[in-house]
Amino acid sequence: MSADRLNPVIHAPARLRLMVTLAALPHGDNLSFTRLQDLIGLTPGNLITRLRKLDDVQMTKSGSGVSALTTVALTHEGRAALEHYTAVLRQLLESAEPAQPR
Amino acid sequence: MKDGTGASEAAGMDARGAAVIMWEARERARRELTVNCPAIFASWALVYLLGYGVVWLSVRGQQPFHAPAGWALALVTLLALLALGVTAGVTDRAASGVGGVSALRRRIYWLSLAIGLLWDIVMQLALRSAGANRGVLSVFAASAPLLVAGVVLVAGTAAWLNWYMFGLGIWLIAVAAFSGFAGPAGVWAVDALAVGIPFLLMAAITLAPRRS
Repeated sequence: MSADRLNPVIHAPARLRLMVTLAALPHGDNLSFTRLQDLIGLTPGNLITRLRKLDDVQMTKSGSGVSALTTVALTHEGRAALEHYTAVLRQLLESAEPAQPR
Repeated sequence: MKDGTGASEAAGMDARGAAVIMWEARERARRELTVNCPAIFASWALVYLLGYGVVWLSVRGQQPFHAPAGWALALVTLLALLALGVTAGVTDRAASGVGGVSALRRRIYWLSLAIGLLWDIVMQLALRSAGANRGVLSVFAASAPLLVAGVVLVAGTAAWLNWYMFGLGIWLIAVAAFSGFAGPAGVWAVDALAVGIPFLLMAAITLAPRRS
């Protein structure tokens, strides 16, 4: 089973988890950085690094100092990229399954 | 998307591994970000089956109808406050850190419910002031909160697109409309059963494992 056809930016465990988690939110919603960190289980530094690699994820910072809040959301392009990734993944899995006897 | 970011981290992850990661992440997000309805439905089932049931026991057989016992009304109020607390707590836990359109919808929903309950209290005072008898006040006190909850639920489903909630809202409105025909004492029993049992059923339905 070859994974070469899968989008290499999404096709990494932590980034895939990030994309799927953000895609679970309805359109127009965002998630605070700290809640996303809880859900994914990464340190802040690791999470920032991975988010920066995904430019179809939008980070918005509001406020300043201790009250600063960073929110993260998936863009329309990000949702489309994940849908495409899922479709390719499904094709790969189906082609790898042995043919059913008739 | 930026280039040159995936090769090393993706090493060793085949399509099946990716599918497993996607399933786990989706399940975790669903579990953590979705409001846990069984607890909410069960707490409201308690309000109606126990609270309304106790009020009915306190007015059953009154000839002529007098009024529900103060302690029974206090119990309903206490149970309703507890159920509101459970609802707010469960909702806040799931919604923690979630902003945007859903947060705005939640605020509008809670505001609508608060305005509806305020309308209920003001209308009871207005009916009393207009000289309504105790029977009328009893029917209104039992059924008006159902009408408020039903209307807010039905309106809310426009945003949630949830047919179970829509059906429940319509049912609450219907019970509020027709239970009054059971009389000032019977209305409490009809509401207790007609609302408490569906809430229990909804708790069971939403507790059942969901297929992903």
